[in-house]
Amino acid sequence: MSKVLSKEFLQRWAPLIVLFSLCIIVSIINPNFLSVRNFARLATSSAAPLMLAIGVTFIIIMGSIDLSMEGVMAFCGASLAVVMLQFNSFVEWGFLAIPVAIVFGVAIGFVNGLIHVKLKIPSFLVSLGIGFSCIGLTMVMTGGVRVSASDKAFRLLLTERFFGFPLMVYVAFAALLLAYFIQKKTALGRNLYAIGGGEELAHASGVKVERVRIIAFALAGAFYALGAMFAVAQIGSVASNLGTGFMFVSITSVVVGGTALMGGIGGVWQTLVGVLIVAVISNGMVLVGLPTYIQEGVLGVLVILAVALATNRKAIQLVK
Amino acid sequence: MLEFKKVEKTFPGVRALKGIDFEIKRGEIVGLVGENGAGKSTLMKVIYGAYQHDGGEVLINGTPVVFRNPRDAMENGIGMVFQEQSLITNLTVMENIFLGFEAQFMKFGIINWRKMAQAACEQLKKVKLDVDPYTTTSELSFTQRQLVELAKVLTLEERVEGDLVILLDEPTSVLPRKEIELLFDLVRELRSRASFVFVSHRMDEVIELSDRIYVMKDGEVVDVVDSDGCDVDAIQHKMVGREIDKRYYREDKKHPYQQNKVLVETRNLGKEGEFSDVSLKLRAGEVLALVGTEGCGTEGVIRSIFGLDKPTAGELYLNGEPVRAFSAFNGVRSGVGYIPRERKIEGIVGGMSVVENMTLANMQDYSTWGVFKSGVERELAEQWVSKLSIKTATIDTHCGNLSGGNQQKVVLSKWRSAGAKIILLDHPTRGLDIGAKEDVYDMVREMCDDGCGVILIADTLEEALGLAHTIAVFKDGEIQKWFESGGDHQPDQYDLLHYMI
Amino acid sequence: MTKDKILQAPDMNVSAEERAAGGRKSISKEQVTKYLPYITLFSLVALISLYDPAFLKLENLLQTAQDISTLFIMALGMTFVIYIAGIDLSSQSVASMTTVIVALLLPSFGIGAALAAVIIGAVFGMASGLVHTRFKIASFIATLAVGGIAYATGQVVSGQRSTYMPADLREQSMGWMVGNTAGIPHEIFVALALLLIALFIERRTVFGRSLKAVGSGELAAVASGLKVTKIKVMTFALSGAFAAMAGVMLATRLSGGSPTMADQFLLPAIVAVLVGGTPLTGGVGGVLNTLIGALIVAVIRTSMTYLEVPAEAQQIFFGVVLIAAIALTIDRSKVKVVK
Repeated sequence: MSKVLSKEFLQRWAPLIVLFSLCIIVSIINPNFLSVRNFARLATSSAAPLMLAIGVTFIIIMGSIDLSMEGVMAFCGASLAVVMLQFNSFVEWGFLAIPVAIVFGVAIGFVNGLIHVKLKIPSFLVSLGIGFSCIGLTMVMTGGVRVSASDKAFRLLLTERFFGFPLMVYVAFAALLLAYFIQKKTALGRNLYAIGGGEELAHASGVKVERVRIIAFALAGAFYALGAMFAVAQIGSVASNLGTGFMFVSITSVVVGGTALMGGIGGVWQTLVGVLIVAVISNGMVLVGLPTYIQEGVLGVLVILAVALATNRKAIQLVK
Repeated sequence: MLEFKKVEKTFPGVRALKGIDFEIKRGEIVGLVGENGAGKSTLMKVIYGAYQHDGGEVLINGTPVVFRNPRDAMENGIGMVFQEQSLITNLTVMENIFLGFEAQFMKFGIINWRKMAQAACEQLKKVKLDVDPYTTTSELSFTQRQLVELAKVLTLEERVEGDLVILLDEPTSVLPRKEIELLFDLVRELRSRASFVFVSHRMDEVIELSDRIYVMKDGEVVDVVDSDGCDVDAIQHKMVGREIDKRYYREDKKHPYQQNKVLVETRNLGKEGEFSDVSLKLRAGEVLALVGTEGCGTEGVIRSIFGLDKPTAGELYLNGEPVRAFSAFNGVRSGVGYIPRERKIEGIVGGMSVVENMTLANMQDYSTWGVFKSGVERELAEQWVSKLSIKTATIDTHCGNLSGGNQQKVVLSKWRSAGAKIILLDHPTRGLDIGAKEDVYDMVREMCDDGCGVILIADTLEEALGLAHTIAVFKDGEIQKWFESGGDHQPDQYDLLHYMI
Repeated sequence: MTKDKILQAPDMNVSAEERAAGGRKSISKEQVTKYLPYITLFSLVALISLYDPAFLKLENLLQTAQDISTLFIMALGMTFVIYIAGIDLSSQSVASMTTVIVALLLPSFGIGAALAAVIIGAVFGMASGLVHTRFKIASFIATLAVGGIAYATGQVVSGQRSTYMPADLREQSMGWMVGNTAGIPHEIFVALALLLIALFIERRTVFGRSLKAVGSGELAAVASGLKVTKIKVMTFALSGAFAAMAGVMLATRLSGGSPTMADQFLLPAIVAVLVGGTPLTGGVGGVLNTLIGALIVAVIRTSMTYLEVPAEAQQIFFGVVLIAAIALTIDRSKVKVVK
């Protein structure tokens, strides 16, 4: 029993320990790390990945995976910018484009989940296909050119600062709380865990598995749209490569945070820790003077380590 | 209150329930006993809605009902406590208790945890379990989980109008004696709220707990006895009671084995949680049957001998050589062949042809430098097809399209052609029709004549007695008793059963 | 393990019979799916040649075949992995990385650079396989992660720049790969030679047979004494090697390498395998199917150019085709819970 406890203890707290050790190491090498400016930079750059990672956390808790985020993000970002331009031309309220983008995100996620559930196709391939299609759609919509998103109210997300942190950090935090609320307080959230823990048992107990799955994908889509919004606010414009790299970063964050790919374990707070670990690593690489482009390699190693540590290999018979 | 009248259940090729009459009165505890495959579990499944009967009537308080699914049955007050537990271990205790029925604690889609916890405490009180409903289920002990499961079923009390029927499927099989008594006390107390159906292979417990006992055999209820003053022996005789037809098992082709040629020897072999202290010898020409109830460890023993499982204690010798690395690869190299119970999963590769399946275990014999020699394997396959008269259109037919008996022949010829001398048979005749069974028995005899040794986990006791030279009776993972067939004391099914349960 | 037991329930004989009955019924469907790729290919060709008869001109066909060769080679390797019911998402990163490696090594090693690149590709594939089997991580995550490492390696080695092959060296060592004989581009020969090798591996070798066993009945393969772990690792290594060959050919065609050169390859390669009739559930299909699949992809691409669909927008179509192909080919009896 004590052995089990210690392993569980380790799995539970390891990510947090890793995060603090990383912070200490980086700040020893470069004391600039411990400045409000740097923390604000860290938080700002984490806002978008956090949203994506939260979205995919819901999916991973079910034991599925969603690889569509890059495409969905590009599409939502582009529609945000395009609709904003349209709105701006007759009213001043370009930020009204935000709900439109979220609706698009939900719609894509819904289609994703629907195909996955109804045609019984593994989620990683459906979402891969959907993601690619979305990038194509984005290209068509933008005509391959960069669209700027310069609505004033919208830009406040980045420019308006409270206590040194831009507004978007607070919005992201609010979204995190919302996600936690869904995870903890709603039947939907609990059913995600039930499905991840034992899908057939959950089904036998009367959980409407198919419906929950579809809603979860739609929910993830909404968070991808939020992620797109933050990314656009940060950059100020959109091209079809808006999402590039985010898939890897978000999945890595979720896994590194301690949410098991097998499903049923973890949650959005773990994801926050995971996102921060990844952010500190890349922030640290800059401060330490390492090239950022090896980040993907470092993350790859990290994923393997995290999953290898979290997987109970004795319990698995077949992996494909 | 719950009554079965002439209930039938037929699966393609099998009549699993043959006109079952069954009744439970209010507050009654009914025992259900029978050998493996007697139809107990099919009957249970019909009761709790996993299967639908296709003949006769199921009545609740005189009204005919059909349960389309377990949820339907639940709504009629019938709940099942599973032998292998059905709790989702990453959820909390209260979530498990109310899984699928959270709506009562929700407002605008938001769960009121405090309310659910209170309600869960109520349920846990019923089963006298003192745990925090916020505990994650994986942290509970096995017994505690069983009680949570019972508490989950008891939520039906509040949800359903009328009486409850609770099915207990082998609830005691892994519990220590002290906890069994606690469970029994609890069940007795709860009979004011519900009736119980109690399935177990431990005869003494069934008699101890039940009011009446239904004895099943071959899909029929052969007797209903009152537990007061009933006799264990009498019940056991009714569970088996059949003469063994010697011709059917090719008794005439049974020859003595070679005493001094030992193929397999285990010394105090054990695997944690499955079996322990197993010492046995298999000699050339011998059929050694391992018998016991479901889950008594025999499957683990032969999987360890083959190398698929790794024992945690004791030693294994194959052909006199000690085995150090346990893997199927090494098992095959030492001349072991394994015919698994799950033929379609571990036996044949359904998507591969007859010839491909036959050579799967020794492809290196038909190839040079990893490239197949043309023709050689086909020749061999043709030989085996005609030798065992395997009914297949061509040797290129997919194995998945063959009948069960012919698939089994393909598996057997795979091992024979690979030169296996130690044959492990796990329920080799399961799901086969009589003709195919006889073919398998023929093959067993032939293999013995060829100097193979066979370890058999038989489908029925009858089969074990009919085929084996030597029988080891297992109970709870240990060998209880050895029997020699053909000596002065020819054992019968009753003798075996006596040591099994 | 214990959980599985309740769910599978006893009465194996019953479900076995039921499944056998089901199997017999689906034979006709099996046959349809078997010829579906061919039917698709011919109808597509027919349609496009109705639209523009010039499509059927020999030089046009050769051009189409030449353009698809690189992708086809990558898809060949992918076929083996999908054949054992896995997936390799690292292919495009490995291919991109090898374009850089081969371009960098060419000046010092000549043709040896190609060999080195292929070996490095195989090593990356092997790493995927080891991570997948030793840590029991699902193949798509294992290959995604190793793909990330390959991608970063490409970035580091190239210093994030495009690398160029000196024209004379390229001609000298790799020229044979991109030349023309009797009007037929050499890429086609190379691709066909690799196809023959792959076909030989699949049909005539013990390894190929083992792949089939693992793909259609992994547990039975284990219980027959096959070293399934080793087979899987080798399969991923093979996929990595083929991806690297695709990278070498790409670098040669474009006279240089870049760490993002093969970025658009992954999806069409998977599509080619699946559309060709090797379903995700494994055990069925094979490299010959992938030839058909790759040709279908080629024809679709060409027709999109005819219809003036911009290259990037073709992605929409491929995403849809991918989902449709899986939906049509997947063997749903093999997957109980779809995650």
